[in-house]
Amino acid sequence: MGQEPEERRDFLPSLAHHVANLGLEVMVESGLGARMGYSDRDYFDASDRVRIVDRDTVLAQDVVLVLRSPDDRFELMRPGATLVSMLHFPTRVQRYRRLKELGIEAVSLDLIVDDNNRRLVENMEAVAWNGLEAGFEALAQTYPGFRTHHRAPIRVTIMGAGMVGKHAVESATKYGSLDRARALSGFPGVEVTVLGRNLTANENYLRERLRVTDLLVDAAYRSDSSRPLVRNEWIDDLPAHAVICDLSVDPYLLDASPPTVRGIEGIPQGSLKQYVFYPDDPNWRVTIPHGVAALSRRTTASCYSWPGIHPRACMHRYEEQLLPLLEVLFATGGAGRLRADGGHFERALYGASTRAWVALSVPGKVAKSSGKVANSG
Amino acid sequence: MHREPGERRDFLPSFVAALDAAGAEGIVAEKGYGSGMAIDESEYSAASSKLVFRDRVDCLAQEAVMQVRCMDEEDLEMLRPGTALLTMLHYTTRPDRVRRLAELRISGISLDGLIDDRGRRVIENLAAVADNGMEAAFDELAETHPAFDDPGRAPLRVTVLGSGAVGSHAVRAASRYGDHRRRDALAAAGVKGVEVVVVDYDLTGHESYMRTLLSATDMLVDATQRRDSTSHVIPNRWLADLPGHAVVLDLSADPYNFSVTPPIVKGIEGLPQGDLDQFVFHPDDSAYGGLDPRISTEHRRVALSCYSWPGRKPRECMEIYGAQLEPFLDVLINKPADAWDTNSSSPYERALARAEISRWLEARTS
Repeated sequence: MGQEPEERRDFLPSLAHHVANLGLEVMVESGLGARMGYSDRDYFDASDRVRIVDRDTVLAQDVVLVLRSPDDRFELMRPGATLVSMLHFPTRVQRYRRLKELGIEAVSLDLIVDDNNRRLVENMEAVAWNGLEAGFEALAQTYPGFRTHHRAPIRVTIMGAGMVGKHAVESATKYGSLDRARALSGFPGVEVTVLGRNLTANENYLRERLRVTDLLVDAAYRSDSSRPLVRNEWIDDLPAHAVICDLSVDPYLLDASPPTVRGIEGIPQGSLKQYVFYPDDPNWRVTIPHGVAALSRRTTASCYSWPGIHPRACMHRYEEQLLPLLEVLFATGGAGRLRADGGHFERALYGASTRAWVALSVPGKVAKSSGKVANSG
Repeated sequence: MHREPGERRDFLPSFVAALDAAGAEGIVAEKGYGSGMAIDESEYSAASSKLVFRDRVDCLAQEAVMQVRCMDEEDLEMLRPGTALLTMLHYTTRPDRVRRLAELRISGISLDGLIDDRGRRVIENLAAVADNGMEAAFDELAETHPAFDDPGRAPLRVTVLGSGAVGSHAVRAASRYGDHRRRDALAAAGVKGVEVVVVDYDLTGHESYMRTLLSATDMLVDATQRRDSTSHVIPNRWLADLPGHAVVLDLSADPYNFSVTPPIVKGIEGLPQGDLDQFVFHPDDSAYGGLDPRISTEHRRVALSCYSWPGRKPRECMEIYGAQLEPFLDVLINKPADAWDTNSSSPYERALARAEISRWLEARTS
C-alpha cells in the first residue's frame, strides 16, 4: 500500500513467515513488495498459512498491519479490528478522530515507546547513515582532493547532538558507509565537529566554522522552527566544494502560524526520486516557496525519508523491532485488550494505542490520556 | 554482595514483580537488599509473595543467581556447579574469570554479552556512562579552567576518542556540559557553549595531527572500543600537549591487567582505574603510585575514571536494566540454559544463548 510512486517499502516475506509461525492465518495483498523486487510467490512460499488476496480482503481482517496509514480506506475495516501503522496521532488529529469514530483499535508504530520514552520502532540510524552516504557520495564528486593521501582530514560539522546527530557522528567518521571506510583505509580520516544549540545560535562562531567545513550536516531539532540556523547568504562561507546534508527533513510551511522554515535556508526538499541537488539543478527551486532566499548554494543532499533509500534494509530493521511486539499483540487478542499495566511490550503497545490517547479541546492537539502531550510525531 | 561502599545497585521491587509474573517459583534476596538505595525490605515483599530474605550463603545456593556487578572469587566458589549466574562478566577483558567459571562448572550468562542479531548490547546504560562521567568531568573543569563561566571565553573544546555507542552518547552529553541545568545557566549568562570534536581510529594514529588537536583541547574523553586492548591510543607523553587546566575523562572502563601476556592496558596511558568510591584523581593523587611501574604516569592532568559510571545514580540505572531484562525473563525462567538455541525464533532466546559462557567459548574457538 505504498503511496508515493517512489515509496518502495512494504513488509517483507520473512515477516509473513514469522507471523504465520505464531499459528495465525496471514492475508497478503497481491503486489505487496513488488517495488522491492518481491513477487506474490515469495510471500506465498513463506508459509502454508499465507494467502494472497486483494486489498479489500486484507482490510477486513482482525489485525491489519501496514507501514503507511491507509487513510482513504478506513471504512473497509471492521469496528473493533486492530490497525497497526505509522499513524502520528499528535500531528494527524483528523486521522485519530476518524479511527475513533469508526471504532478501529489502532496502534501507532511511531508512538511505541518503552518506560524510558525510547521509541521501539524507529530507524534513526538509517536516517543518518543513508543521508551521510549520499552526502559523501556527492562530496567525492565535488572535492578534488577527496581521494588523495596528502589531503587534510575531511571536516564534517554536525548541527545537533540529539538522536539523529548521535548516529550521524558515527556514520560521518565512516564516510557514511562501511564499504567506503574500508576502501579509504589509510587515507587521512574524518574529523567530526558537533555543535549544540548554544553554538549554532552564535553567528560569528558559526560562520567561522562554515569556512573550514567540507560537509555540513543539519541534524538539529530546533526549539524555534520559524527561524533558520544558517541563513542563505552564510552558505557562501562554505568552501565551494562543500556539501550540505539535510537530515532534519523539516518542511517549508510558510502559511502555518508560526511559519516553519528549513534549518538551512534556501536548500531544496528532496525525495526518494531525487535527493542530490547540484547548484545548477533545474529543480532547485521547485520545493522552495517564493520569497525564501536561495541564491547562495552548495551541493545538497536532502530527502524526506532517508530510510526509504534502502527499503529492504529498512523493513528488515522494522521487522526485528516489530516481531516481539506483534507476538504480544496477538497473544492479548488485539489492541482493544491491551492493558496499561501489562508486561514490558504490552505497556508499550498500550501507550501507542487509540485508547491511550485523547483528543483535546484545543484544536489540533491529541495527547496521551495521562494528560502529557507527546513530543514524538 | 557489593564490592565497595559506593556500589549501591540492586534490582528494584518492580523487577521482583516481573520475576514473579514470569513464573519464578521462589525468589531469594539477601538481607538488606536495596538498602543502599533506601528501599525497604517491605517494598520488595509487597512486590511478590514468593520473595524471602536470607543470608548471602543461602542466596548463593540457588539455581540461578543474579546481580549487576560480578561477585568476587570467594563468592564465585560458593556457587554450586550448574548454577546459572547472570551478571556483568566481561568475557573479553576478564580471561581469568572465564577460566575460573569453566573450572567451577558455572553457567555464566554475561549481561554485557547479551547482544542482538546486529551485535548491539541489549542490557546497557551507555547514556548514563556518558552523562554521569561527563557531569563529573565538567564539575572538575569548572574548577580548573580559568575562565569557565566567562562570557568572553572561546567555546570549550571537548575531544572524544571513538565514535561508537559510548562516543555517540558522549557527544550529546558534552554538548550539554554533562548537565542541561549547567548548559541553561551558562547559555543564559551569554557564555559560549561546547564544541565537540570526534576522532576515530583512522585519525588517532596520526601523531602530529593528534598532538595539535590535544594542544587545543579542554577535555579529552576516551570512549574507544579498541580492537587491540594491549596497546594505548594516547601514549602518556602526548598528554604533555594538553593545556594545564585540561581534564581527562575515561569512559571506556577498560582495566589494567598485567597478569596476562601481552598485558591489557587503558586507552590513555597513565590514568588510574577508579571506582564508585573514588573516580577523580588530581595529579598528586597517591593512586598514581599504585600503578604498575610499566605504565608511564609522568604527564598528568585531572583525571576521571570509574569502572561503572552508571552506578553513580543507582536507582535510575536499575530502572533501565530492569526494563531491558524483563523481556528475557520468560526464557530465563522457563527454559533450561542448555536448551537455549542460537537459531531460535525468539530474539531473546538467541541473545541468551549467545551470552551463555559455553557457547561464547565455542563461538570464539570455531
